[in-house]
Amino acid sequence: MSDEIETRARKAARRSLTRRDFLKGVGATGAGLAFGPLLASCGGEESTTTSTAAQGGGGGPKTGGSLKVGIVGGSAKDTLDPHLATTEPDIALNTQLYDSLMGWDQDYVLKNRLAEEVSANPEATVWTVRLRPDLSWHDGKPVTSDDVVYTFQRIVDPANPLSGAASLGGLKPENVIKVDERTVEFRLDIPNAILTEGFAYRQNMLIPVGFDPTKPVGCGPFKLGEFKPGQQATFSPFDGFWEDGPYVADLTIIEFADEAARVNAFLSDTVHMISQLPRAQVTVVEGSAGHKVLRASTGAWQPFTMRIDEKPYSDVRVRQAFRLIVDRQQMLEQAYSGYGWVANDMYSPFDPGFPKDLPQREQDLEKAKSLLKEAGYADLTVELVTSDAVGGSAVSAAQVFAEQAKGAGVTVNLNKVDPGVFYGDQYLTWPFAQDFWYTRNYLAQAAAGTLPTAPYNETHWKDEEWQKLVEEAYRTPDDAKRNELVAAAATIEYERGGLIVWAFNDQIDAYNEKIGGVKPDKSGTPLTGFRFHKVHFA
Amino acid sequence: MSEIRSVTDSELVEPAKVHGARRRSEWVEILHNAWGFNRTRVGVGIFAFILLLAALGPFFAPHSPTEFVAAPFSGPSAGTVLGVDYIGHDVLSRVLWGGRTVLGLAIAATIIGLVLGVSFGLIAGYARRWLDETVMRLLDVLLAFPQIVLVLLLISLLGPKLWLIVLMVGLSHAPRIARVSRAAALEVVQRDFVRAAEALGEIKPRILFFEVLPNITSPLLVEFGLRLTYSIGLIAALSFLGFGLQPPAADWGLMINENRIGITVQPWAVVLPVSLIAILTIGTNLIADGLGRALIGIERESGGPS
Amino acid sequence: MPPLLKLILMRFGLGALTLFLVSVVVFAATQALPGDTARAILGKDATPQRLELLRQQLGLDKPVPQQYWEWLSGVAQGDLGDSLVQQGMSVTSLLRDRVKNSAALVLIAALVSVPFSIIIGALSAVWRDSKFDMTASVGNLTLAALPEFVIGIGLVLVFATNVFKVLPAVSRLDPSVSMFRQLHLLILPALTLTLAVAPYISRILRASMIEVLESEYVMMARLKGLSNHLVLWRHALPNAIVPTLQVIALNLAWLAGGVVVVEYLFGFPGIGQALVDAVANRDLPMIQALCLLIAGVYVVLNLMADLGTILVSPRLRTGLR
Repeated sequence: MSDEIETRARKAARRSLTRRDFLKGVGATGAGLAFGPLLASCGGEESTTTSTAAQGGGGGPKTGGSLKVGIVGGSAKDTLDPHLATTEPDIALNTQLYDSLMGWDQDYVLKNRLAEEVSANPEATVWTVRLRPDLSWHDGKPVTSDDVVYTFQRIVDPANPLSGAASLGGLKPENVIKVDERTVEFRLDIPNAILTEGFAYRQNMLIPVGFDPTKPVGCGPFKLGEFKPGQQATFSPFDGFWEDGPYVADLTIIEFADEAARVNAFLSDTVHMISQLPRAQVTVVEGSAGHKVLRASTGAWQPFTMRIDEKPYSDVRVRQAFRLIVDRQQMLEQAYSGYGWVANDMYSPFDPGFPKDLPQREQDLEKAKSLLKEAGYADLTVELVTSDAVGGSAVSAAQVFAEQAKGAGVTVNLNKVDPGVFYGDQYLTWPFAQDFWYTRNYLAQAAAGTLPTAPYNETHWKDEEWQKLVEEAYRTPDDAKRNELVAAAATIEYERGGLIVWAFNDQIDAYNEKIGGVKPDKSGTPLTGFRFHKVHFA
Repeated sequence: MSEIRSVTDSELVEPAKVHGARRRSEWVEILHNAWGFNRTRVGVGIFAFILLLAALGPFFAPHSPTEFVAAPFSGPSAGTVLGVDYIGHDVLSRVLWGGRTVLGLAIAATIIGLVLGVSFGLIAGYARRWLDETVMRLLDVLLAFPQIVLVLLLISLLGPKLWLIVLMVGLSHAPRIARVSRAAALEVVQRDFVRAAEALGEIKPRILFFEVLPNITSPLLVEFGLRLTYSIGLIAALSFLGFGLQPPAADWGLMINENRIGITVQPWAVVLPVSLIAILTIGTNLIADGLGRALIGIERESGGPS
Repeated sequence: MPPLLKLILMRFGLGALTLFLVSVVVFAATQALPGDTARAILGKDATPQRLELLRQQLGLDKPVPQQYWEWLSGVAQGDLGDSLVQQGMSVTSLLRDRVKNSAALVLIAALVSVPFSIIIGALSAVWRDSKFDMTASVGNLTLAALPEFVIGIGLVLVFATNVFKVLPAVSRLDPSVSMFRQLHLLILPALTLTLAVAPYISRILRASMIEVLESEYVMMARLKGLSNHLVLWRHALPNAIVPTLQVIALNLAWLAGGVVVVEYLFGFPGIGQALVDAVANRDLPMIQALCLLIAGVYVVLNLMADLGTILVSPRLRTGLR
């Protein structure tokens, strides 16, 4: 069993951080840096057409107009193959062209998209997906179960597994089986109660049989016009799209390599929306007539990581003391300029099983001191490893921690290292460091970062009681039961885990007042989750 | 920048023609003459001011440089006369704390550069022939790299560590100082007292250290002033590029980089450190210029090259 | 062999030797990276297969002299290797536009600063000890003292962000638009570079001009009754410029390194910015290429100035030196 978990863990939700992505964040100047591009870990939208925010009186959203969007720059390697997408521009472009079976809505709730119905057997080993009727591709052909089979066989091809394969643990190509024109069965080797999350990943969007990425045909809201990798792409609306919209007459997505240029283009009305507004520019945009900040609470986080198998953090009292040292509100104010929400040493806040009722942990220096004294570390000096690679704000947070720790008599020496060093051969061995993660539900996050077999288990977390709960949750398709297991597991981490989860950061974008239908997206995917078919001119 | 300066300035300041008789008193005379120029006095005044600010500033800082006193980039208010920086530190306090590293590291780097450069220069100038050729040719290779590029190249090797940066900045000065001291030494080693020492059978290091070195102090004095100016610029520039001091250190160069993004909302956090670095380098450059003029004056008097 | 030809050949030989030694320094500095280079580069994405692949790609499994030789012969053929950060992209392709951008920036700065500082220097010499001379001297002394990023930030504060908001604070060029249509983006960086080098040229030109003005030859021309104007600009100035050629060349070479901080400051997409990024990310082939390029520019310009001085100056031409 543990082998299976391990396989799944390694594959599931492998953080889609490519070197290119995190380095991009590094190049920018330290402090006011927005969080690096939020990548493919998440995405999706509601299945039903909830209010597309009709503002213009009776007849629904206004149609027409040329929408121009400025995003973080990619490179000549931008791809229109959704299964190879990794960077923010990749996700932005591919979301226009393609769609997925399921998706997360703006509140990070899993909904059906191309799928009309998704069901599993009680063992969570056989999943059945039925497509919506009357779906069609950009070239007019109908979307059928053949396309679904083709898509998922391509992703989990053992000779060349694509990045989405990680989210489809237990699936082999020969076990994706066509039942009828609209129905497909997924037969798994091992139980996987969160296969639905795999259906929602944007790297698992549907492609037609015989797909050719140089002439991309999808079933998403827009058809491709002209595409210049690393620079810009134009799109026209697809009339046969299943959901309401698009409303605009055409769409241009422009990639800006430079942060300041992106902001300038926005303020001079060259583009109507931009992603990743630097925090220091928020006041500038707010003070500028006709421009608005789009602020979205997300489940993205930058924890402090304490290795539970390394002194002094092997003593649970030290870990508890360190958690009590943090004045989370102050850290949020100073390091994130207040753009985020306080966290409670647990991740995955949007998971339906997330224990919301546990008391919020507050700063308690006296208690921290006495815990440290009890543990025999009265005059403790530790090194905290940080890097711009984690994000400019992470270095700020580390400074805040060092300052707050003084109050408990702990000396924290910051060791700011190069990106190449931080994520180099010592990564995952730092006794006390930081890291960053995007919005993810609990089991997917555990598989990526906390199971003993997880590829990025920074804290070397290993706890038998906890592990049993998580493994059982993987096998439990029943939502209510699984949520209970998740809550129990999360509570254990709340009590004795090695992570200090102090806040979830906001996603900050900006848009012109002339634009309607723009909504915050909890997944952290910028600009209404890049669902530009919902956007219209006011 | 310095290869230009070294060319112009070493042309201005040709190595001293030194005479045995003037051995000890010459640099005293140069200092005295240099003080006669207004620019030197202004330079010394500026330098003394910054030195005092750096040394005593921390005692007058209203806050700790790492304490959080307001929301990031808040403007000036009652408790924070000059507002706060990108993370909420008091700008005034950080400015008062931030001169120590700039000055200290620059002086250290300059001394290292001087020691290295003078050693190479003396050895080359005294040894002549192939050793001279080899040493100077190798140093010329280093001259092909602009100083900042040389330092970056070496940083990429070992990562941005403070001692390394000081050492590298010093090393990047070495070829230029070596040229000056070699030229000066060439002149001195032919003097009678050196010959005499050789005849007496003194060992070479002793001759270099006790006979040659004291006689080339004057051009080295000017070099020190010049190199100090560039050391300040280089070290501040490295912090500005993010390779120098690391947070939470209070350092003028680092402050500029950290707070640049908020320059429109909270200019003080940038303007103040920039201005202080500017007047500091102007001050040291004025001193170097005054010393250089005094040196040329003395050479003219004593029939050196015009 | 005629002495002149011999002299020129010797200079070429020395230049080539220096270039060779420069390449050794660059290679030694970068390839001596301690620890596992491949792992440091791959970081979070390191898997045994990818590590092995990268080691082969970098040739880390071979002896060092062989690595150097292969690298050098690649460089000689214009193959600078692949970037380690933007995987699959060759350094040459990544740098092509950047070299063009930086060259344009340096060229503009040179075209402005050289004539400008020659005129200032010459006038200071002609009006020696006048108010103009004094002002120029103080200005030179001040500007020469300032680190270039201080000059640059000063210009940004005044012209872009806080006093007058007339010029962009960030000079990000749009690659799809011709450079000539976005020249306004080059104003502040070029001005920074201009102000950083002008003091040196004008200072040395002033000294050289004073020497020429005091020479017998100018005295003679004056005695012959040539107009003051003619003497100054047709006879004295050209003769004053020759000895400063070396300094001017060195200044232009310095610009190649000066772009590092200035491009970083303005976010200008040139080789300087590329070097800062490459150092932060330890992109070794990129660092090697850029250091080699910048040092190469210095050596070549220096050589050209040398040859120029030899050819122009009659004293040297006769091989007196």
